Amino acid sequence: MTALWSWPARRLLLGAGQTAAVVLLVFALTEALPGDAAVALAGDQPDPGRIAALREALHLDRPAHERLAAWAAGLLHGDLGRSLTSGRPVSSLLADGFAPTLLLAALTLALLIPAAVGLGVLAARHEGRLADRVISALTLGVYAVPEFALGVLLVALFALRLGWLPPTAVGYGDDLLAHPAALVLPVLVLLSRPVCSLARLIRAGMTDALASPYVAHARRCAIPGSRIRYAHALPNALAPAAQQLARTVDWLLCGVIVVEALFVIPGLGTVLMNAVAERDVPVIQGLALVFGVTAVLLNLGADLVTHRFAPRAAVAA
Amino acid sequence: MTFRARGGPGRCALALLIIAVPLLLALLGPLFAGEPGPRAASFTVGGGHWAGTDFVGRDVWRQVLLGGQPVVSTALAATALAYAVALPLGLISALTRRTWLEELLMRPLDILLAVPSLLTVLLVAAVLTPGAGGLALLVALVNIPDAARTVRAAAAEAASRPAVEALRMQGETWWRMAVGYVGRSSLRPLAADAGVRLTGVLYLVATASFLGVGAEPDAADWAVMVDRNRPGMFVQPWAVALPALLIVALTTGTNLLVDAALSRQPEHIRHTRKARDSRTPKRNEKSSP
Repeated sequence: MTALWSWPARRLLLGAGQTAAVVLLVFALTEALPGDAAVALAGDQPDPGRIAALREALHLDRPAHERLAAWAAGLLHGDLGRSLTSGRPVSSLLADGFAPTLLLAALTLALLIPAAVGLGVLAARHEGRLADRVISALTLGVYAVPEFALGVLLVALFALRLGWLPPTAVGYGDDLLAHPAALVLPVLVLLSRPVCSLARLIRAGMTDALASPYVAHARRCAIPGSRIRYAHALPNALAPAAQQLARTVDWLLCGVIVVEALFVIPGLGTVLMNAVAERDVPVIQGLALVFGVTAVLLNLGADLVTHRFAPRAAVAA
Repeated sequence: MTFRARGGPGRCALALLIIAVPLLLALLGPLFAGEPGPRAASFTVGGGHWAGTDFVGRDVWRQVLLGGQPVVSTALAATALAYAVALPLGLISALTRRTWLEELLMRPLDILLAVPSLLTVLLVAAVLTPGAGGLALLVALVNIPDAARTVRAAAAEAASRPAVEALRMQGETWWRMAVGYVGRSSLRPLAADAGVRLTGVLYLVATASFLGVGAEPDAADWAVMVDRNRPGMFVQPWAVALPALLIVALTTGTNLLVDAALSRQPEHIRHTRKARDSRTPKRNEKSSP
């Protein structure tokens, strides 16, 4: 049908479209407000002065396309506007919350792959036996559990009953690395869903690979078991898992919002939830843009990597 | 192998066992909740309330009885709504021969696919403050792109069969082709997708409610209970642990049940396929569903 080389090009085009869609969707936020945005945002006590200030801050006196153009031009310069409640530039608010969120995400990603591969390979090696049944049942069960429910139960058990770990990160500021104990539960909760899905995929890929003729032949040639497992079977099991990583990114972004709310970590998720509570539209727009564009770019990257690993896999484009 | 052979019914029973408690509470709980009693002090244990009181002094057990229904009904409504839009979209784009129509229907959805679903929900909720119905609508909306893709993929397989060509040549109506043949033949993969989607929707509905979207701050809703009663966890852990445990059981049980149902499927398909192949000449006229 279509030439092979065009797939990455089409995927890149889709990525550009998705980025544009995120920008438009985020801009449409103020347009979606029923009636006059300034009146809607002023809330329960419509004070004329506040409405006028909001109208001024949002430039509501200008037509929509002019505002879109001005907003997009500001984006190109890294200017995301000012917060309606505090008056601070949105970019400085984002910079404040950036470090804890990045730390959480980086720790989770760093632990995710070894943990998932370890569990998946362990289950595949003992296929049908106790270890496999326990791992399979656990990964399947935990896979669907919302982070907040798992999180409060872990807090109740490890922080309140056993007293091993702090229940929240309150009081540690954004210097979380100095208090590793406060990071254990958040990272554990963030890991729960992605590890389960990846481990299941790796287990499935490994059992297929271990039952394949080439592994049987490698065994006949007396190649050591660990080399067969990690050098021959595992790479074949990783291709479908690489694709799942793209979806994991979506979960991590959602998970970060929940985990930061749950453990009171002053990251981007907390900034977002505060802005949502105060209907601080410029801050919401800035954060949504950062989250949305990150998700689009990471999806794009994951798809391109998967395409390199397993060109046959059907990926949307 | 032995595990797989006897694992099917056993796993199904385990899943049913796990899901039974939260599901029964969600369905029948409101019938047994009774009238609200007088409010006691916040976060107390005992005093006629065997599960204690919550952050505004209401009986936790009564809130638990009432709180399952919103989660379950919102999730079911959202799944049904998502398919109500995704089914026609997917069927039309699978059956049409006009490429531009298919592109027009599916491309915009592809573009929305990469935006994190919870982010979209929060974004819209920030300006519109939806109620429970609005949350169902929102969750359905973010599920439509993926559901429509799945429907299209499942229907495209059936739509490329010779039987559809024959129906076309016989001049059958679009409805008969789409609903009578293509829709019916793709029922099984769609049922599988619906099960998986329901677990995802349950997750999203519960998480959104926890973050304060779609439910009143004092609503009787398991997810809201977990959020609002957190400050009292040190003195009254049951107000948080009970609803959290029920949500864990509900989501885990749904996922285990869907998986157990799906893992029995391949054998069944193999069975029907064998039966169908044995009477190949008739296959195009009548397909076993």
